[in-house]
Amino acid sequence: MKQVTLQLFGAFSDLDERREITLEVSGATVADLRQALRELLPVRWPGFRAGLLDYSAFADQQRVLRDHDMLPEDGRVAILPPVSGG
Amino acid sequence: MDAKPIAKVVDRAHGAIDPAEGIAAVSDPGFGGIDVFIGKVRDVNVGRVVTGITYDLFEPLVLNEIQRLAAEVEAAFGPRLKLYVAHARGRLGIGDVAVVVAAGSPHRDEAFRACRQLIEAVKHQCPIWKQEHYEDGDSAWSEGCSLCHADSTPAHGHDHEHGH
Repeated sequence: MKQVTLQLFGAFSDLDERREITLEVSGATVADLRQALRELLPVRWPGFRAGLLDYSAFADQQRVLRDHDMLPEDGRVAILPPVSGG
Repeated sequence: MDAKPIAKVVDRAHGAIDPAEGIAAVSDPGFGGIDVFIGKVRDVNVGRVVTGITYDLFEPLVLNEIQRLAAEVEAAFGPRLKLYVAHARGRLGIGDVAVVVAAGSPHRDEAFRACRQLIEAVKHQCPIWKQEHYEDGDSAWSEGCSLCHADSTPAHGHDHEHGH
């Protein structure tokens, strides 16, 4: 198990006023984190549009991560829903 | 490349984006062409009256991505090119400047095309989110472009019309 601190952005920032949540991930890849969230979201935030997860990417402080990438050592990951800048 | 592209996030609480700063940043004695895109908050979206927009950004990644995207623009239209991007963070009102992209080059064609490519890339690939506020008090996060398959190609995995 790995503990991940997930920074929340965009629509996900509505989940927690501290704009981050911590969760346990059973695995070491971004895909494992995605799966953990797929299980957690409907339980902990039943009113949230959980389908947004399928269109969201993850990132460390430097770059967007792909599902096969390893989670960063420090466990700090950002969730990036579809973007709408400009 | 004449200079490292300038990328900045301007928190509305601390100030406003100044397009003149962008023009100055991409000016050069050898440059005869400067193109500037100014994106402002408008008062309606998809038929709903908008009273303001709150921009949320993941700043370290925004700055990284702008540098990466600017390098692609320089590869296409440089090396004689200067680029500037400023994006707002926080709550903006109608008419406030949300983003400025400026491109300077010896001739207008490269300036126009570089500016266009960069603003499109910023809108589609940078981790920036807008929350619209409506006159009835409701708010909603905008639909956007998914970054799931955005590696280095434009992110067009999204499933909405290109009104943005």
